[in-house]
Amino acid sequence: MDNLTVNIKRVMAIFLVVFVILISYLAYFTLFRGPEISTRPDNKRMWDIRNKVVRGTIFDRNGKELSVSEKTKNGTYRRTYRGGPATAQVLGYYDPQYGISGLENLYDSYLSSNISASLAAWVGNGLKAVNKKGDDVYTSLDFGLQQTAYDALGSSRGSVVVIKVDTGEILAMVSKPSYDPNALESNWKKLSADEQRPLLNRSVSGLYPPGSTFKVVTGISALENITGMVEETFNDQGKLVLGKDYTLSNDKGKAMGKINFEQAMIKSSNVFFGNLGIRLEEKLFKTAGKFGFNRNIPADGIIIDNSWFPKYKASEKGNLAQAGIGQAEILATPVQMALVAQTVANGGTMMKPVLVNKVVNYDGKTVRELKPSALEQVTSEGYAAEISRYMREVVEKGTGTRAQVSGVQVCGKTGTAQHVESKTPHSWFIGFAPYKNPQIAVAVLVEEGGYGGTAAAKISAAVMNRYFKK
Amino acid sequence: MTKRLRTLQLLIYLFLFFGFLNLAFLGKPIDPTAGVFFGVITAIIAVTSWVLKKYYPMGDRLIFLLAAMLCSIGIIMLFRLDRDTAVKQLGWLVIGIVMFLFVVLYLKKGLVKYAKYRYVFLAGTILFMAMATFIGVEILGAKNWVRIGTTYGFQPSEFGKIFLILYLSTALSHITSRKQLIEPGIVIIVALGFMVLQKDLGTALIIFAVAVTMVYLATSKKLYVLISLGLFSGGGLASYAVFGHIRRRFMIWLNPWDYVYNESYQLVQSMYAIAMGGLFGRGLGMGHPGYVAVNESDFIFSVICEEMGLLMGLAVLILHFLLFYRSIRSAIHAENNFTKLLTAGLSVMIATQALVIVGGVTGFIPLTGITLPFVSYGGTSLLISFLALSIIQKVSEGDEGDTQDG
Repeated sequence: MDNLTVNIKRVMAIFLVVFVILISYLAYFTLFRGPEISTRPDNKRMWDIRNKVVRGTIFDRNGKELSVSEKTKNGTYRRTYRGGPATAQVLGYYDPQYGISGLENLYDSYLSSNISASLAAWVGNGLKAVNKKGDDVYTSLDFGLQQTAYDALGSSRGSVVVIKVDTGEILAMVSKPSYDPNALESNWKKLSADEQRPLLNRSVSGLYPPGSTFKVVTGISALENITGMVEETFNDQGKLVLGKDYTLSNDKGKAMGKINFEQAMIKSSNVFFGNLGIRLEEKLFKTAGKFGFNRNIPADGIIIDNSWFPKYKASEKGNLAQAGIGQAEILATPVQMALVAQTVANGGTMMKPVLVNKVVNYDGKTVRELKPSALEQVTSEGYAAEISRYMREVVEKGTGTRAQVSGVQVCGKTGTAQHVESKTPHSWFIGFAPYKNPQIAVAVLVEEGGYGGTAAAKISAAVMNRYFKK
Repeated sequence: MTKRLRTLQLLIYLFLFFGFLNLAFLGKPIDPTAGVFFGVITAIIAVTSWVLKKYYPMGDRLIFLLAAMLCSIGIIMLFRLDRDTAVKQLGWLVIGIVMFLFVVLYLKKGLVKYAKYRYVFLAGTILFMAMATFIGVEILGAKNWVRIGTTYGFQPSEFGKIFLILYLSTALSHITSRKQLIEPGIVIIVALGFMVLQKDLGTALIIFAVAVTMVYLATSKKLYVLISLGLFSGGGLASYAVFGHIRRRFMIWLNPWDYVYNESYQLVQSMYAIAMGGLFGRGLGMGHPGYVAVNESDFIFSVICEEMGLLMGLAVLILHFLLFYRSIRSAIHAENNFTKLLTAGLSVMIATQALVIVGGVTGFIPLTGITLPFVSYGGTSLLISFLALSIIQKVSEGDEGDTQDG
């Protein structure tokens, strides 16, 4: 009998502990996992709440309506995407059946903000329910420029990113292949199964070897870390022998002879920059990190996937050399490379990339305003100016002449990036203009587009032409 | 103590008042039925508390108030979900409490004298556990419901549970040798077997927990607990291999988000309800309980969390926690082995049920369909819960039948 009482006390203790565990779990579940669970696209409750609000409009920087909600005959609202395929990935879609993506998703709390109907509006409406209206989002996009970039890509796959140099505002962000967001329902099956992934925003999520455009980063690193870099000369014999089984060659194995740093950049000498990669070793890894590789780049209105620059040992000469010319296992998003150009153009200061300028609520009050903010002083103004000068010459007389725009001093760097040996390389161009007081920075990527100096440089020229000649 | 109890009673009335006031204004035009509900529930709580105080001042009057609080939360939610359901539940609540008072007032002291009906209890256990296997109808995947006529029905296994606990209390109360365990062992296995046949995994889990606890209480042998757990896991694995519906349960539990539109729809909607409720809830009438399946019984906890928030969810768990503590405390103070085992068994039954269903609807453990005692809709469930409570209440009064009455 005494045993029984002792046992009961034990059982009581065990059950009370189990109760405490379950109580803790419930609190953890609701408070910590709840917010993330609630926003899952298949949560019908969230859609019921959203449907009570006339979703806010997304505008471009000039006040053009890009995504609007319009009333249908049966009283519900339908999202119309006036931006069409040109802005499909960056603005995203909003659909009860397929969920939310892009800016629609990241700014959902504003667009579907349901506290907007003020007491005054309610009283003014004779105490009857007022149609709640979500906040309007004014993006930094210039739709004209966006459309030009979209058209310039033509039938190619790829991406174009245009960033305002001094503020970090994204003026254009295009990804191809694209889709018509207004016909989502009829195309969904095809779109979601398409191997070319038209729903993917390549500008922020596409990872590509940057190829020779990366020489801008290697160049900055060399200026920072090697004394007397500018005066040095080097005998380029067309290839760099790195042991029995491995040689790094220039394009078509062309020997450039006795060249200095400046000429190596203009002619895009792989031998010269491969050699720099070996000499810089870990220092190049650090410079790449400062430019944003291997980490989250803070942004607003977009989420940028991490670009990748692996750390190679001093003994891995082949990889170090390849890294110096943006090959090996280096991968970068188009927006990352656009930021490299923006940083050089902006005297070495990287600006936080933003897609949104302001959010305005139902009665015209600005509820969120994004001021330009500097992310990091990546390099000194002097080094940035030195590289800028080389980039000017690249477009003037080097590999990037096709990026020229009449009347504007364009600077840039081409890239022809190997990915799969049997396939045509990716075509890259990063640049900015004008040379003095730069306004815009551009990154163009054409998947399997061949030489950077051809496909990508031409698209950059078309985009810059539109910007400066409008 | 009396003063504190009175304060608690007042707080329950206040809760009921504001709850039903809120419900009255949810209707258009204002719904007077809510007032009737408030009046009836307040009255039965007041009368019962008065009777307990008057005739049994030594008993633990907190036990009844804790159960009344749980019933109040439940019936407010049911009223919000569907008026007719709430009316029926109110009827069952009145019947349950009348039965509770009847047992407390008229059953002679000295529950121990019922220990001699061992074989009546045994027969009752087998009869009720088996019943639905043969004449049951299938509801929500489990064949555990028996119809009487066309409109009424009940769940025989609910009565079976009480009989099993009564039987085990007698069979285990004077255990001295291992041989004496054979008969109760067989009864437990037979009861579990019938539950598996009826695909009523929730009740099987409750029976298992109660039986293992009672065997441990009576024998003090942890080895038996380990063996039982081993057998249970073995049986679980075997049924996992054999039965598709058990595999599905585990799959849903492990990866609820992979089958959002199909197998795990119910669980996922329940998790959404709780997640959307947040700390304070969306407010009575402001949520979407319509998306939650069986929202009046098995999943009532999720809709309570959605509309009344985490705070009310925690309140339900804490009330059950306190109810268990007060119930099993009276087992400690009981005079003989039979009443100790009986009270402990009934307390464990109610507590396990609360833990299993709340754990299930939150995705903490695999989901099995059972009711949340005192809160869920259901006549059988409510009657059984109040029957168990009446025995616990009786024991808490100091059930010294042997010396006083006998």
